Amino acid sequence: MSLTRYGYHNAINGFFEFPTENARRILPRGMEPVEVHHGSSVLAVTVFFFHESEVGEYGEVVYAVLVPPFVEDERLPKGAFFPWQVATTTRAAREHAIERWHLPHWMDDVEVDFEPGDGGRALTARVKAEGSPALEMTITDHSWQEVSHLYQSFQQDDDGKYMCNILFEGEKSEHEEETGRIQLYDHPFNKDIEISEVFEQPFREMWMREGHQLFDPLRQL
Amino acid sequence: MEPAHKKAGDKPGFAEYDYSNFYYGAGDDPLNLLTPFARWYREAVPNGYYLYQEALESAPTTHVRVRNGKTKESQDLLNLASYNYLGISYRPEVKRAAAEAIEKYGLGASGSPILSGTFEIHQKFADELAQFKGKEACIIFPTGYSANVGFISALMRSGDTIFLDQYSHASIVDGAILAKSKTVFFRHNNPMDLERKMSRVRGKKLVVVEGVYSMDGDICALPEVLEVTKRHGARMLIDEAHSTFLFGPNGRGVAEHFGLDKDVDFHLGTFSKSLGGQGGFVCGTRELIDYVVAFSRSRFFSCNLSPVVTAGLRAALQIAREEPELRAKLWSNVAFLRRRFEEEGVDIGKSNSQVMPVMVNNDAKVFAVAEKIQDRGLFLNPVTYPAVPKHRSRLRISVSAAHTEEDLETAVGIIADVLREEGICR
Ligand SMILES: Cc1ncc(COP(=O)(O)O)c(C=O)c1O
Repeated sequence: MSLTRYGYHNAINGFFEFPTENARRILPRGMEPVEVHHGSSVLAVTVFFFHESEVGEYGEVVYAVLVPPFVEDERLPKGAFFPWQVATTTRAAREHAIERWHLPHWMDDVEVDFEPGDGGRALTARVKAEGSPALEMTITDHSWQEVSHLYQSFQQDDDGKYMCNILFEGEKSEHEEETGRIQLYDHPFNKDIEISEVFEQPFREMWMREGHQLFDPLRQL
Repeated sequence: MEPAHKKAGDKPGFAEYDYSNFYYGAGDDPLNLLTPFARWYREAVPNGYYLYQEALESAPTTHVRVRNGKTKESQDLLNLASYNYLGISYRPEVKRAAAEAIEKYGLGASGSPILSGTFEIHQKFADELAQFKGKEACIIFPTGYSANVGFISALMRSGDTIFLDQYSHASIVDGAILAKSKTVFFRHNNPMDLERKMSRVRGKKLVVVEGVYSMDGDICALPEVLEVTKRHGARMLIDEAHSTFLFGPNGRGVAEHFGLDKDVDFHLGTFSKSLGGQGGFVCGTRELIDYVVAFSRSRFFSCNLSPVVTAGLRAALQIAREEPELRAKLWSNVAFLRRRFEEEGVDIGKSNSQVMPVMVNNDAKVFAVAEKIQDRGLFLNPVTYPAVPKHRSRLRISVSAAHTEEDLETAVGIIADVLREEGICR
């Protein structure tokens, strides 16, 4: 059994409340979103820059809905995601992720830029698709801790349903100070999201640095 | 090779998880979260969760005897945790009224309020309360929780929209769920965000606010939120659980404090806080109350409030009404405590009421802080995620008119010392 490893210098993630009806339109039948409040589910936006992987260096943006984790053994996952749109800066990264993880992708290369701000206490990611801005997200830091956190990812495509355990290890900062920001542009990249319903400040901000993700082999459900 | 999730060595400790991790779990067995929860809880209890549900062995006065959840030994503690804002629950008049009622009626109401469970004492109390609030009529519920659930679901339906402050109490949220209405949350006390959200919605609309927010102790921005509500043709419910009998020239609540008593449509409150009893109520027009009596499921499918408690509450209401000096004493205690916390550099967030969060802002330390504070003689409850946002953990103070300045000075000393030792304040 071999694990797949992806190393990153920076990965930022924002949790945004969005209407549960929107989440349900994205999720396959039979899958329920996790609600923060009655009627509000979680849109999770993550932007990575991987410097170490089987397919070289690349940037990646992931749109996901938070879903219940699968509880099966001793180690309880911290959370679970249903990623419904992944976009990468290279074709090799895209083909690898489609083949190995059955992850649904935006089928063109995107541009991902990171810009540090506030003396290193904030990081902004800008994503361009088809040459025009699709997303800009700023995440701020809080306190840093060395962590080892288990998450799960659920996927579904024409071939079936899958799940994967993913261990995130490295330094992490997490807070709910509402100091970050997102701008989702009116762009085909965001066609599944009711942009006007997404509050521009994340209710939770996570920043992971100098870390890696370890993927267990994919499991068919 | 071991799968990633079984990697040896670095299994996370209990502090990596909290209640929110055990709410959702996929799988086919409704019991599948029990074992992971039990495993986590066993570790969480000795590490601070024992501070929840510690048993009191005396009345909730300013000094209490508490069975320590860890040592199982009784401790005498200065009490800043109980809601007894006016110190009424243990007043001799209240106890006497309840004792007389138990002789007359026995323990309970033995029936739903719409069938056999309404006694003349309930009707008298409802009339007295309506008169106190300056409204035509009043309906009584067995708890404040069921007042929100019953009232909101009596009035609102599927297809309607309920706008809730993001810090709304769970009973308000549960009322919206039972109403099956669309629920829209607006940013805490933020009329601009409410405006943005209301402008997109047509149809029947209700806005719900709280007089004093229970975790932060800040007062509702009522004039501004009400203006937006009215402009969009919506109705407003104000939950004055923590403000009735305290705010306003007559103690009617925050709506009266702002001079907006007549502009807010529905007034809800509880008897469990300032009156130190139990139960909830809604005041409004006679027509409104008749309708709510007919349609609030949480009330008519539940036994009426005990006549014993009701008798005690009548005496408590009389005290609250006839002794405005209690309110004056409460506010002077609040002012004293605020000033002393400010002098000591203790952060109490945005509080401008008798509910004061002592901000620890450190989820990893809040239990250690709470434990030290209790060991030094002060009864205070920690509040942490998910009840409040991550890293906004705190200890929640309820000031009472019954506290003396010496009590409060002792509390400030203990709190400031512990926060300093833990590096939380200067
Ligand atoms: C704002 C608010 N509403 C309602 C309630 C419920 O009241 P009760 O405890 O009387 O059921 C509470 C209690 O904590 C509250 O804080």
